Amino acid sequence: MLASGHVVVLQEGPMTVATIGCVVLLAGFVLGSLYKAVRYVRMPMHVRWELYPVAHEKGKVSYGGSYFEELDWWTKPRETSLVGEVKTIAEEVFTLKAVREHNPKLWLPSLLFHYGLYLLFLLGAALLLGGVADGLGVVGLGWLGGGKVLSLWGVVALGLATLGCCLLLLRRLGDPTLRNASSPADFLHLWWLLAVFALSWANWLVVDREYTVAAGFVKGLLRLQVGGSVPALFVAQVLLLGAFLAYLPWSHMTHMFAKYFTWHSVRWDDAPNIAGEAYREKALKLLMLPVSWSAPHIKGDGKKTWLDVVQERGES
Amino acid sequence: MKPEPLVPPVKVRDIAKPTPALSPLDLQKIVPLPPPYDQIDPQTLWKELTAERRQEIDASLDGVSALSLKRPEDPQEEERLLKGFVEGLRKLLSVENNWTFLQPLQLTLDHCTHCQTCADACPIFVMSGRNEIYRPTYRADVLRRLVARYGNGGNPIKSALTGPIELNWETLARLAELSYRCTLCRRCAQACPIGVDNGLVTHELRKLFSQELGIAATECHANGSMLQLRVGSSTGMTPAVVRDNIEFIDEEMSEKVGFTVKTPFDKVGADVLLLHNAGEILAWPENPGAFAVILEAAGISWTMSSDLVAYDAINYGLWYDDVQFARVALEHIKVAKKLKVKKIVIGECGHAHKALTVIADRLLLGEDNIPRESALTFLEGIVNSGVLKLDPSRNDFPVTLHDPCNIVRAMGIVEPQRRILRRIAPRFREMTPHGVENYCCGGGSGFAIMSPNNFANWRMLVSGRIKMQQILEAFKDELDPAIPKYLCTPCSNCKGQFRDLLRAYGAWERSRILYGGLVELVVNAMADVPPGFLEWEFH
Repeated sequence: MLASGHVVVLQEGPMTVATIGCVVLLAGFVLGSLYKAVRYVRMPMHVRWELYPVAHEKGKVSYGGSYFEELDWWTKPRETSLVGEVKTIAEEVFTLKAVREHNPKLWLPSLLFHYGLYLLFLLGAALLLGGVADGLGVVGLGWLGGGKVLSLWGVVALGLATLGCCLLLLRRLGDPTLRNASSPADFLHLWWLLAVFALSWANWLVVDREYTVAAGFVKGLLRLQVGGSVPALFVAQVLLLGAFLAYLPWSHMTHMFAKYFTWHSVRWDDAPNIAGEAYREKALKLLMLPVSWSAPHIKGDGKKTWLDVVQERGES
Repeated sequence: MKPEPLVPPVKVRDIAKPTPALSPLDLQKIVPLPPPYDQIDPQTLWKELTAERRQEIDASLDGVSALSLKRPEDPQEEERLLKGFVEGLRKLLSVENNWTFLQPLQLTLDHCTHCQTCADACPIFVMSGRNEIYRPTYRADVLRRLVARYGNGGNPIKSALTGPIELNWETLARLAELSYRCTLCRRCAQACPIGVDNGLVTHELRKLFSQELGIAATECHANGSMLQLRVGSSTGMTPAVVRDNIEFIDEEMSEKVGFTVKTPFDKVGADVLLLHNAGEILAWPENPGAFAVILEAAGISWTMSSDLVAYDAINYGLWYDDVQFARVALEHIKVAKKLKVKKIVIGECGHAHKALTVIADRLLLGEDNIPRESALTFLEGIVNSGVLKLDPSRNDFPVTLHDPCNIVRAMGIVEPQRRILRRIAPRFREMTPHGVENYCCGGGSGFAIMSPNNFANWRMLVSGRIKMQQILEAFKDELDPAIPKYLCTPCSNCKGQFRDLLRAYGAWERSRILYGGLVELVVNAMADVPPGFLEWEFH
């Protein structure tokens, strides 16, 4: 078969454009994502801005209650539930609950699209694990039931993702208000992904129905092997996908991890500043920062601190 | 019938177009109310600004003006304002100047997918007949585009991906106005699957305008927090006037309830410092009066303060200015410390709840961190203690409950007020939706105190309309004016909005709907008090 022949060539030949491109672009993805995540982590403590229901409120989450409902709440032990947070996040990730409840027209396209992406991610992870296992001499991709299972998996994943992507694109283009409220980036992302999916289908149909080229490529990539050539169509797919991933951290698609911050660190951050908690030092440091807001009632000159301005009365 | 001509929806970049009005309110599209209120022609509640007034002020957003902004007198003035705005953008995104909200803001700016899942959660957008400029993402996208193009020197690639926008006087003036077309109810944030908070954008925009350019609603700033810091209260009441008024209220209450009611002032070592929205003292004296009756009857050790700022729980900075917010919060705490109280109880005022209990929390260090409690929780404690003899038959009329956003969605205090009502109001019924999914009264984020130009008309027709619909639905089988009905609203600002809203729609005359707080209902049910504490008079 065409594909298996190329796998052998790939493993033994010089490093290809695809390999170099893939390494560079994946590095871009990883470093870009890390940069963005670290940026959020390093942002200073903010004032509380929680929004109920808060998923970890034990026994009260069903109606959105909080510890403020308890008389002398500060004297009582605060009971939180990690399970509550995990459950809410899982419900959101696997059923797109908020979209289903508030935007039903977009729910099915969005659900198909996201499930397609989840399955494609798992396929990529399986190829990666297979490559690692093979490299360690443990076991190849046999544990997945062979190429036919991978092939079916790929079809289902690509099918869902492509269908979802097309439906989302149609909605954005066909609904005048949604089209009007979209940014150029919203269209770029969908068209770009559609192009990646189109190449993936072409590869699946013409080159790599059982993902043997892909498996060999991943294996070579893990060993940073140089060599040979792979079909041009496969190279195009790898580079287009790689470029998309490298771009992703600079787009709103980082919501896949930013949700941790938007939900856990903002929406559900209801931890009270009671004795023993570590806010004092942080707050003191922040209150000593210089203020340069220029309005007459502040007149921040870049030297006065927050502590200074909040103790003034200000001019009208 | 001729089909309606297709009007292209207003685009984000249109905000810079020099047109007389970007997207005027279309009275034909306002969502109708249930019968018989569907007969009220929106035109009768509307006021068009005169041509003269429109020459004086900028109403080019939607034909409404909340800020009475005047056009710059010359190009230099315009240039100064635009430069100031760009400078404000930089500060809004800097740790030094905006550590208070930087992380939530940056996350919100970075992650909106424009899926419009938030759109239908916004009552202003929906009730206006889906006016594009009220869409929660509209104002947020204006900010996103401005940040991409002008923020920190600008980023051409990011700007191209975010979309085109121009910064000129029209953009600046309309964006300032647009930041006062959202009540900060945060239903949009609640609906967002990603956790983006387009309501926060409103808050941050108001902050930029206030803290950098000195542009803010007069009622919130000059006549609000500045006045409070200067004379003690945004009502203008001095300590002597507050004492006088409370003394008068005490006398009235004593007469009504048949035992002596005396509000203690400045009592060092009291268990509780009670902070009222001072507006209650002037507009709804029965509310602080009812509090005094309950605390007296329950034998609570409590006090009010006559110190400047501390006899008024309001903190308007919460809506538009972090510096003003912190100044007022610190004054409240200073007095509590001076009086050595065990806790501060915040009366029936929603934004005061959130300001002092939640937003100020991490700024109150060491001894300043005096426990703060909601009056609703505190009241439930008193009711549960059994110290008051309650007779629910005294409240045998239809009652529904409004959930103030700041107490419920922003603090999770949902059940205490309901448990009290279930105990004292046998004909209590919920609105739909309610609890943390409630709709704002339409007067949130300062709107209730704002009525310049035709803004009050907009409040009645747009921001308050969904609540009017909810109230009518809650009482739908008993709208007959022969049946008195009570809209329980434990928040002073919401009450201000309901006073205007029920009056505008004639709901007192047409349906005998009265509004009031929770404590009044409790006192009305007290068996030891002569019947008829509630006076069925609309004011």
